[in-house]
Amino acid sequence: MKRYLITISLLLSFGLLLTGQSSDPFVSKCVMNAGNDAKYLKDFRIQLGKATAQNELRYKANMSLWKNTKYRFTMCSTDDSKGQLFLSIKDDANKVVLSSYDKNSGKTYPFVDFVCNKSGIYQLNFDFTDGQQGSGVGVVSMVK
Amino acid sequence: MKGKIIFLVITIVLGISCRNSGTKGAEFVFPEADSVPLSEAEKLSPEAIEDIAKNISSPVEIANLLQMLEVPFSQDYLAASIDANKESTNFNKAMKLGILGADLGYLNMYEKTGSSLEVLSSIRKLAEDIKVGQFFDFETIKKLSQNKSNLDSLLFISIDSYEQIDNYLRSNDRGHLSALMIIGVWIEGQYLATQVVNKYPDKILRDRIGEQKIILNDLLMLITPYCNNSQEFTSLCKDLNILKDKYRDIRITYTQGEPVASEKDGGLVITQTETSVVEMTDEQLKGLIGITSEIRNRLILND
Repeated sequence: MKRYLITISLLLSFGLLLTGQSSDPFVSKCVMNAGNDAKYLKDFRIQLGKATAQNELRYKANMSLWKNTKYRFTMCSTDDSKGQLFLSIKDDANKVVLSSYDKNSGKTYPFVDFVCNKSGIYQLNFDFTDGQQGSGVGVVSMVK
Repeated sequence: MKGKIIFLVITIVLGISCRNSGTKGAEFVFPEADSVPLSEAEKLSPEAIEDIAKNISSPVEIANLLQMLEVPFSQDYLAASIDANKESTNFNKAMKLGILGADLGYLNMYEKTGSSLEVLSSIRKLAEDIKVGQFFDFETIKKLSQNKSNLDSLLFISIDSYEQIDNYLRSNDRGHLSALMIIGVWIEGQYLATQVVNKYPDKILRDRIGEQKIILNDLLMLITPYCNNSQEFTSLCKDLNILKDKYRDIRITYTQGEPVASEKDGGLVITQTETSVVEMTDEQLKGLIGITSEIRNRLILND
């Protein structure tokens, strides 16, 4: 329910439901940042407050990923975000397949190319580093 | 040096998680023996429905695969017979909005702008008829279609328009129309893939068709609450269950492997070596081609 409300408020904040406009300039810019070799597939618009506890990543969504496909996940955070948006992907056995954030070094990768060889429904988990407040978008594209 | 240590840590972490995976020797099976029980489907929360709606494969992915395999474009695969002016029921309008959305994805990927304008005006009519025309940015899509240099913007705006329509329908108690649209997109993508494989029998494409077993159950979960809404819904549910029966003995198994991590141009590259394997006989594929064509051709008939 909470996530549903967050999604709705996020959509409202992007002006989508109210105006019917196709895209927010921030989202469009992130889509373009994915690179000339990338073909847009989907985006996830995320707005989170500061986490009260730091357990699981807070924004979750499912997505089918198909073998013989190279996906690019591009993460963009707005300037006023306190943390950097990052992504962790789990497969249907709840195993972490990739993470764009290395907790040990504190390094956040702006994009991850994933060469998928196992088709299935994967769980995409997004959050901001250190459970900070932030707004951002995760763009999924296909690359050659 | 620091970079190498990071790769090593990532590789070790991923490697450990792989070894702990419970999927060794696993096989994908439908979660239940027969059809999806109505009570199960009705229990789905809005979040679960949203998840299902969002995880259905994009038709752009099928079109991208066809391009990768160097399959030439063919107008023959399109639902050219759809006449948006002849549709009278919301069932048909929403279903055909989905079917034409998949066709638009195919046309966009192959940059067939002339035909995409015709499809666009049909989409516009259908969207306006079910009161979601405000979410489809026709003028921008039209402009981008004519300007071939910006494929990514075109894909973004087209897909985004469909997502907005879907969100709007679901949040306004018209989930049945959203489900029809999603199923329309999927059926047309499946039709495209099965028609192409019939002509160009490629292993990768064949596997992609077999792997659709993974999301077929989700589609049924989406439509099941509406199966008794009308004769049209009942018939669609019956068709999808027949398709599910055709998939039942197609096996999808998994092999283990260690992911490989590297760094390129400031980003991370993960290559998955775990694989999914589809076991499907020629006879089973033939069955899927036949039933998909039958269902899809029935759905594109005008009222």
